Amino acid sequence: MSTSLRRYSLLWLGLLTLASAAVALFVGPVRPATSTIIWEIRLPRVLLGVLVGSGLAGAGAVFQGALRNPLADPFILGTSSAAATGVMIAGLLTISHYSALYFMSLGFALLSIAVVYRIARIDGKTPIQTIVLAGVIVSLFFNAAVYLFFSIFYRESFTVLFYLLGTLTEGNRTLIAISGSIICACFGICWSFSRELDALTQGEETAFHLGIGVETVKKILFVAASAMVAAAVSVAGMIGFIGLIVPHMMRMIVGADHRVLIPASAFGGALFLVLADALARTIAAPLEIPVGALTALIGSPYFVYLLRRTQKIGEF
Amino acid sequence: MPAVLVEQVSFRYSSGFALHSIDLEIPQQAFLALIGPNGSGKTTLLRLMSGLLRPESGNIRLNGKVVSDFEPRELARQMAVISSEQFFEFPFSVAQIVAMGRFPHLGRFGKMSAQDWQIVEEALRMTQIQDLSKRPISELSSGERQRVLIARAIAQKPSILMLDEPNAHLDIGHEIEIFRLLQFLNQQHAITVVVVLHNLAAAAAFCKSVALLYQGRLLKYGKPEQVITTEIIRGAYGADVSVHPSPTGGFPQISYDR
Repeated sequence: MSTSLRRYSLLWLGLLTLASAAVALFVGPVRPATSTIIWEIRLPRVLLGVLVGSGLAGAGAVFQGALRNPLADPFILGTSSAAATGVMIAGLLTISHYSALYFMSLGFALLSIAVVYRIARIDGKTPIQTIVLAGVIVSLFFNAAVYLFFSIFYRESFTVLFYLLGTLTEGNRTLIAISGSIICACFGICWSFSRELDALTQGEETAFHLGIGVETVKKILFVAASAMVAAAVSVAGMIGFIGLIVPHMMRMIVGADHRVLIPASAFGGALFLVLADALARTIAAPLEIPVGALTALIGSPYFVYLLRRTQKIGEF
Repeated sequence: MPAVLVEQVSFRYSSGFALHSIDLEIPQQAFLALIGPNGSGKTTLLRLMSGLLRPESGNIRLNGKVVSDFEPRELARQMAVISSEQFFEFPFSVAQIVAMGRFPHLGRFGKMSAQDWQIVEEALRMTQIQDLSKRPISELSSGERQRVLIARAIAQKPSILMLDEPNAHLDIGHEIEIFRLLQFLNQQHAITVVVVLHNLAAAAAFCKSVALLYQGRLLKYGKPEQVITTEIIRGAYGADVSVHPSPTGGFPQISYDR
């Protein structure tokens, strides 16, 4: 059937991602770049972009499927700002050990998704608009917490401000390696639950009648997706809207089947973030702008478009 | 062994609505309509029998085994359910939706085998939607969507099929098509069919037996002509209707009184 066609689209996306990574290696404020700059400075940065982009987009695809909500995204649901709050607190407590930092970040991310879910769930149902509203409330709260900490403890630090806006300047290779492993492992878990995600998009009752242990599966998926978000946020700050835009575009290209959609979203997220970062480095060179600000500038209008479209369908 | 055996089942929602000690034996290959006025407990009974809700007291057995003892996958291999909760905003193709009926038969990393796809093809053919198989479900009409969901249920290869108002939002032509399809599955494939219905005329014409619920109790259970009578329907629904025997078949016909 159309499976072979879909496999090719994954291949194409993979090649495009490689190509964009290659382009990003040769783009930057220093021209012509020495091989030291390309391999020592830009390569880790491109790798970080690939990891964070695919982690955020993969998590977005999982949230959208598990919540049966095309508007769900780690940034809009408040998961990202909660994870950032965890990182800020870890910084305040001068916990520099990586695992402690991740656990703080993951803990807050899980707390936020649990709170959003509890607020939005009415009589065993989670209507789509209520989830977005609950997410907005929770993300506003954690955003306020983040900037409160910033204004009290880090007001002198431009690095921290940059981090909060979302940036790929983190150079610590151990940190990149650890978050990369976390993202890959959780990605694998989510991918292995593709069928369950397919079933959940048909409604929780239907998923149960198709043989899915709904509550357990949802918990596993929320934890795995939140862990991906926490790992991405710990190294790159609050980069928004990739988890919203990319899975949605990929669904238009490869369809809704999560076995294809999840890897396609990972490629798409990597591609998008690596290119956006190349742009962020060069658009105001020699100044550099935070890539998170750039993705939000592109993402917000897209969110409005999506919201209008889902309202027009009128199914909610 | 009965397909479904409901023994002394009681249930109460936190909102206060309750079912009171229901006893119901549904034999193999039955075609049963659950009828009753709004709020009489039809859908609640269906949700109890399909394992979504657990009875407060009493037991429900499916082919001899208590429903709550089933693993979800095992349950889904014996019983397909088309609930009234239906969502179509994700762009799955018709074939992909029908293939979901194979999920309970596949392992976590198991692929759809040639035989699985053959079962999907057969389900598409039986519901006469082969031509739609590559179309996204979101583009179909309500009648076509209902067929897709029935095809998915067929692909599950269940021995019991439960449906909550499969004729809601359908015009009378499509409604009859759906009931003919259910009759075919019931007679040719020996599937036990339980269906919640508001339309009494359809229940009388197509179902082999009817159970009437009233205020959380089973008021009457039997053949259509035993349950759907002027006296019983007027009493349960408080509606000014009359029931007459059909001039052609033997089944009761309902007409409104002015």
